[in-house]
Amino acid sequence: MRPPADAIGTLALIVGVIASLIFIGVEAALVYAIWRYRASRNLAGQPATFERNRRLEIAWTAAPALILAAVFVLTLGTMAEINGAGVAPAMRIAATGHQWWWEFGYGGTKTANELHVPVNTPIDLDLTSVDVIHSFWVPELGPKMDMLPGTTNHLRVLARRAGSYEGQCAEFCGVEHAWMRIRVVAQSQAEFDSWLAAQAVPAVTQGGDGERVFFLSNICVNCHTVRGTAAAGTAGPDLTHVASRATIGAGVLPNDVARMRAWLADPQRYKPGSLMPRVPLSDADLDALAAYLGALK
Amino acid sequence: MTVDRTLLGVAIFIASESVFFLAIVLAYVAYRDAGLATAKANLDIGRTAIFSIALFASSGTMALAARARSGTWLGATMALGAIFLVGQGSEYARLLGEGIGPGSALFGTTFFTLTGLHGIHVLAGLVALAALFTANLGRPRAVRAVAWEAVSFYWHFVDAVWVVVFSVVYLGTLL
Amino acid sequence: MTAIPLWVRRPAGERVGWLRTVDHKAIGVLYIGMGVAFFAVGGLEALLLRAQLATPEAGLVDPETFNQAFTVHGVTMILLAVVPLLVGFANYMVPLMIGAPDVAFPRLNALSFWLSLVGGVVLYFSFLAGGAPDTGWFSYAPLSERAFAPGTGVDYYILGLAVNGAGTIIGAINLSVTILLMRCPGMAISRVPLFVWMTLVTSVLILGAYPALTAALVMLLVDRQLSGHFFDPAGGGQAVLWQHLFWFFGHPEVYIMVLPAMGMISEVIPVFSRKPIFGYGFVAGSSVAIAFLSFGVWAHHMFAVGLGDTENAIFSATSMLIAIPTGVKIFNWIATMIGGRLRMTTAMLFAVGFIAMFVIGGLSGVSLAVVPIDLAVTDSYYVVAHLHYVLFGGTMLGIFAGAYYWFPKMTGRLLSERLGRWHFWLTFAGFNLTFLPQHWLGAVGMPRRVFTYAASTGWGPLNLISTIGAAILAIAMVVFFVNLVRSLRSGEIAGDDPWDAFTLEWSTTSPPPPENFATIPAVTGRRPLWDRKHPEARDKS
Repeated sequence: MRPPADAIGTLALIVGVIASLIFIGVEAALVYAIWRYRASRNLAGQPATFERNRRLEIAWTAAPALILAAVFVLTLGTMAEINGAGVAPAMRIAATGHQWWWEFGYGGTKTANELHVPVNTPIDLDLTSVDVIHSFWVPELGPKMDMLPGTTNHLRVLARRAGSYEGQCAEFCGVEHAWMRIRVVAQSQAEFDSWLAAQAVPAVTQGGDGERVFFLSNICVNCHTVRGTAAAGTAGPDLTHVASRATIGAGVLPNDVARMRAWLADPQRYKPGSLMPRVPLSDADLDALAAYLGALK
Repeated sequence: MTVDRTLLGVAIFIASESVFFLAIVLAYVAYRDAGLATAKANLDIGRTAIFSIALFASSGTMALAARARSGTWLGATMALGAIFLVGQGSEYARLLGEGIGPGSALFGTTFFTLTGLHGIHVLAGLVALAALFTANLGRPRAVRAVAWEAVSFYWHFVDAVWVVVFSVVYLGTLL
Repeated sequence: MTAIPLWVRRPAGERVGWLRTVDHKAIGVLYIGMGVAFFAVGGLEALLLRAQLATPEAGLVDPETFNQAFTVHGVTMILLAVVPLLVGFANYMVPLMIGAPDVAFPRLNALSFWLSLVGGVVLYFSFLAGGAPDTGWFSYAPLSERAFAPGTGVDYYILGLAVNGAGTIIGAINLSVTILLMRCPGMAISRVPLFVWMTLVTSVLILGAYPALTAALVMLLVDRQLSGHFFDPAGGGQAVLWQHLFWFFGHPEVYIMVLPAMGMISEVIPVFSRKPIFGYGFVAGSSVAIAFLSFGVWAHHMFAVGLGDTENAIFSATSMLIAIPTGVKIFNWIATMIGGRLRMTTAMLFAVGFIAMFVIGGLSGVSLAVVPIDLAVTDSYYVVAHLHYVLFGGTMLGIFAGAYYWFPKMTGRLLSERLGRWHFWLTFAGFNLTFLPQHWLGAVGMPRRVFTYAASTGWGPLNLISTIGAAILAIAMVVFFVNLVRSLRSGEIAGDDPWDAFTLEWSTTSPPPPENFATIPAVTGRRPLWDRKHPEARDKS
């Protein structure tokens, strides 16, 4: 199938050309009327007195109606096409909106904020939300679709080229709506398969000081999961392979150990309003925790 | 034919009130299935029907009052309206006693909102009736005929809304 | 000496303060004053938003402040600026245009104004009471539920809108009864000026739409204050119900804001073209068509909600249909100009500007009725651009046209044409600079209501242009304000009929006496004053 974004692009081009022609026609008529009939030209004679012309009026009612009828037919065609047009999806991925991050589920394997897909493969996203309404939108991948709590919507996406795509939440969802970004990585089927296999395995942890801090006072583990350990919180992103992701905080910072440490020291500085609290930790604990998370490849 | 301004104004007001109630009733209907079991188990149709008859009868006494400009019939209308409100109050007390309130579940939310908004309108109607009653006690001739018609118009509307609410909320449980 | 006295004379001659006045003209002025004041406040909020967005990842304001500012900006401009401005002009002009001494219910009229104002004050009181609403002007549930909006902002939003709405509903009852029953002898409904027609249609829209909003607000209040579950998915409610109710109000609201402005330019264009309006019946009739259709298009705001293809297709069709009567009007206005003798006064410039800009808003509106295109650009800056082309490029330019046209009638003095031209061209340039780039921003992925955006997106330059445009627009508004103040104090004396106009408001003095007309006029056509001035060339209709 053709990527939904391309189908929309074609339709938008057609509608855009029609709209441009109408725009040029109307503005030209307006400019002509002003230029031709301005009083400062001292035109001879009296102003015209006509005030109706039924035929003309019926014509300019009917003409837009015909144009719109044609546009409507094209609309119906494209609506069917972007829904998949009968082509079954090669895979389904669960996408769940949270204030203010994304959870992506491949069967039982969960990851956050970074959606990996095989290239040139029709995929259906099953969209829902755990709190308020969000909207999944990656312009180059396809249309947007709202994520409503208590309901599941479906969105067909297809990535035409390998590489990364950017998107973000499109429905205002509260204080950090602006930093609810999505990164999509489209890969060859083989690369995708090995990525998914890597994500599916539990964390290989070194233990040590970082892990001790992670489990300290049940703070981190209250909200986060690290598969393979006792950490099984679900309010925040799954951190089993957090170091494999490109950003922190749904796009607010690039992901490396130094920035992870800065983020852990004060998430509210980078993402004010975020549901991740500032936890007072000593410098040594911060170092250890950042190193621990940085090792979760 | 000349149309009285005040009556036209009241008619338009009632039309816009109808949109308001329509929205609330639609919300009730949209959530009907979720609350049906609670409604069937807890609503007292028989008792409410009796109090409803009081309200329906008040439309009759209002018509008589308006036709004869009769303070007595007006008083009867007010009494019947008040009886209806007392009935509503006792129904509320019973439901709240059983733990069903506006916050308990969807049935409570929609039931108390719909019937409560209607009750507020009945109360407003009673205030209008009382104002007319008082004016009529003082200088009956100074009360314009249109005042009687306008108040009566509004009271019939409040009554008609209850026909819909009673049908949807109470009789609806019998379906 | 100012042209607006500190008291309002009653027919009997005694002085009545502004607080107690029930004169439709004084109440019209109060409404317009309220609209101007809130327009200024809403404009400052917009400047704050644009300043923050001028550069990526800026930290001028924190996200809470930004979210409050765009929420209050939307509510303010729509309900506290545009609607009062339009209702104000209607209040002032409708009785004059139909040859009536006042509105049907003068005291209720005062009540409408004060309720509208109090609603606005209640909304703004939220700033002092712990924070303004920050959930957007359409305040989608469940974000607006207590669980996600625990402060009092949304409660003030509910109360403010409900009280303001009650005022607007009462005002609509008043205006519709006035138009239906108080026309002077000979003023058949097929002869009333088009601004009056549009006011009547708008009143009907208000009466059908606002009660749905009130109902939704009551339900939200029950949810928030009595722990109800109307829009609470966790309790079995549906978030989408709020959207249905809100947009059942919200889309007619767009026409409530646009139709009266269309009425204004339908007065201005014929007068300054020296011709009768072309296709009076089509202009009036198409408004009725718009009114009917506008109650059947609301779900085009909800294409991305997942209602289903059938529902989306139906609402796509109705939304395209509504473009037809809207387009017809544009042809009618241009045809009115053809063959005329156009006096390009500031009022006429703004009226022509309305047509030029509204076309863009109308066409982008059609693109949003095309479901797949909507799914691509809805909730993005494309929609922000679209709605501002309709409501600023359309409505506000129409209001400015009306302001330059009617200011002499209301004050006895003309606004300065020289400042007026500056006002127009700065507005035109600033407006397009602000909003044209936003179409592109939306198309490439910038969502609306973001307090900032990543530098890596590359959205910086277009946003900077947009912010510069907003600054120019602000200067234009300052020019207008200066023009208002200076002309009030020392503008050229206008006389009764400075534009050689067609309709009855120009047959009385400027400003009109408390009773409007010394004797109630009788009319025989659509242009009564023209008929009076040109008995040899009376209109036949």
